[in-house]
Amino acid sequence: MDAATPLQVQDPPNRLPLNRLAGRVGLLLLAGLLFLALFPALVAPFDATARLGQPLERPGDTFLLGTNDIGQDLLSELIWGVRVSLLTGLAVAFLSVLVGASVGLFTGYFSGLLSSILLSLTSLAQVLPFLPLVILISAYLGPSQRNIILVLVLFLWAVPARLVHSRVLSIAREDYIESARALGSSDWRILRVHIWPGVRELAIIQFVLVAGVAILAEASLSFLGLSNPIAKSWGGMLYFARASGAFLNDAWRWWVLPPGLMISLTVISLMLIAFSLERHTYR
Amino acid sequence: MGSRLPRRLLGYALVLLAAISLNFFLPRWMPGDPLALIAGNSVRQMSPAVKGELRQAYGLDQPLGRQYLVYLGRLVRGDLGQSYRYSGGQSVGQLIANRLSWTLLLGTLSMGLGALIGSLLGIWAARRQGSALDLGLQAVLYTLRSLPPFWLAMLFIPLLAVELRLFPSGDSYSFPRPSGLPGLLDVAHHAFLPALVLTIAYIPTAFAIMRTSLLGVLGSDYLRTARAKGLAEKFILLRHALPNTLAPVLTSFALDFGQMLGGLVLIETVFNYRGIGGLMFEAVKTRDYPLLQGGFLVFTVGILLINLLLDLIYPRLDPRLASRS
Repeated sequence: MDAATPLQVQDPPNRLPLNRLAGRVGLLLLAGLLFLALFPALVAPFDATARLGQPLERPGDTFLLGTNDIGQDLLSELIWGVRVSLLTGLAVAFLSVLVGASVGLFTGYFSGLLSSILLSLTSLAQVLPFLPLVILISAYLGPSQRNIILVLVLFLWAVPARLVHSRVLSIAREDYIESARALGSSDWRILRVHIWPGVRELAIIQFVLVAGVAILAEASLSFLGLSNPIAKSWGGMLYFARASGAFLNDAWRWWVLPPGLMISLTVISLMLIAFSLERHTYR
Repeated sequence: MGSRLPRRLLGYALVLLAAISLNFFLPRWMPGDPLALIAGNSVRQMSPAVKGELRQAYGLDQPLGRQYLVYLGRLVRGDLGQSYRYSGGQSVGQLIANRLSWTLLLGTLSMGLGALIGSLLGIWAARRQGSALDLGLQAVLYTLRSLPPFWLAMLFIPLLAVELRLFPSGDSYSFPRPSGLPGLLDVAHHAFLPALVLTIAYIPTAFAIMRTSLLGVLGSDYLRTARAKGLAEKFILLRHALPNTLAPVLTSFALDFGQMLGGLVLIETVFNYRGIGGLMFEAVKTRDYPLLQGGFLVFTVGILLINLLLDLIYPRLDPRLASRS
């Protein structure tokens, strides 16, 4: 304890170079992943859905990461898997922030019955056990990518809504909002011209962070067997790896390790971008 | 306890009612015969007379409002419905009761440890804010947060359980189950790996919450005053800074609790652990809806109980709340 610096908060050191570096690395990674998501066929050696080899082949010259339990190339599966994970994550993030920011703007600016109801819904969506409920609803709806996106949005809008709500509350107290109102600006104009600019950055950061959460959640659902088994995804690969007992023998090296690393890499790229955007709020 | 508690209790009752209503409406909104979703596929082999009886027992022949009352009445008597797979014998309530203690053991152990270790690391990093150590620790913990915990478990099993044979690769105890002290050690041995993975999964959240709250306090004027009085840094931290972060830190923990429970489902699945999470995975495989609903309801009640517990200790942590009563 004595070795530590005194408890006072020093001025944050100039983190701009570090921020810029983190942002660039994150964007570069994300761009690469987006390319794979859009053009997997250009990079993947094989069609990921074709049964080309023997089941459970070890890595070799033809199949660099071996084959799965029905003889599909694991490396091609891994590359095609970017599409489901990344696009699901981005779609969920877009819809969640769209809903969350709208609710946050509304409840932060207007008070009344509708606001109270929306606020209660926000806390409800946040307090319910996320994964057990998502599992329950997905089980009813049946396995499809669209259903997974909808179910995740159903809960992930709550955090952006709460954050935008409190940001709007603090902005709406400012004098210039009062002045704008005195000058006869409409609510819509005040929200659009005076409040939205103060919320925009928060919304963008939330978009990036929710995308990361959604990618992890999608992988979890696929791992539990709740996604479309035909669509190749990283969580789905891990589901079949577990079902075949790949983590009980040395197949974990080429069947379990790569999908998890890809999930982690994707989430890290998003976190780096969020970190670089957060330069104003030094935490 | 102040006027806070009744309001909070009302809020919790509403959350519980929302969860119960979700359970009630889901099978009734879905396309198809709700009876098939409530009683399982065995409905197809039933004679119309038996079907009619079942329909009556669940109140499906009555208007929705009456059905809801029937449903609530069953819940109050502890009847969570019948599991499909075990429809011969066990009710959902019985199945969950048998598994509850395993989930409680794993959950309390790993969340407690994760919160403790994460908070200590958060304090340590906040005191060195902006230093290379702080940034390094943040990088490590954010990387940890990006790793799916169930994947971590799938790596620990081949490495620590299969190759090094340090731990069993799954289940909650060995067969035949030893009794007495060896039995207790056996349970601890089986719980170690799942608890380790879950603890690792909870540390980053606790770290971020603690670090942010402490940083919020460290810059405040009263600490400058304390320092100006010449108080020792350790004393300032323990006596002035930390007590003021406790209430917001616990609030954040309570808010994140619902998210953290998800890890239990996944980790119990990987380790074939005999808790409610593992039960839910089996229920997903067989589309055993009543069992899934029961699991969801139990997790919801768990979250509400934790929140209630925190409400009861808040006034002790924050004298401002106590003095209001």
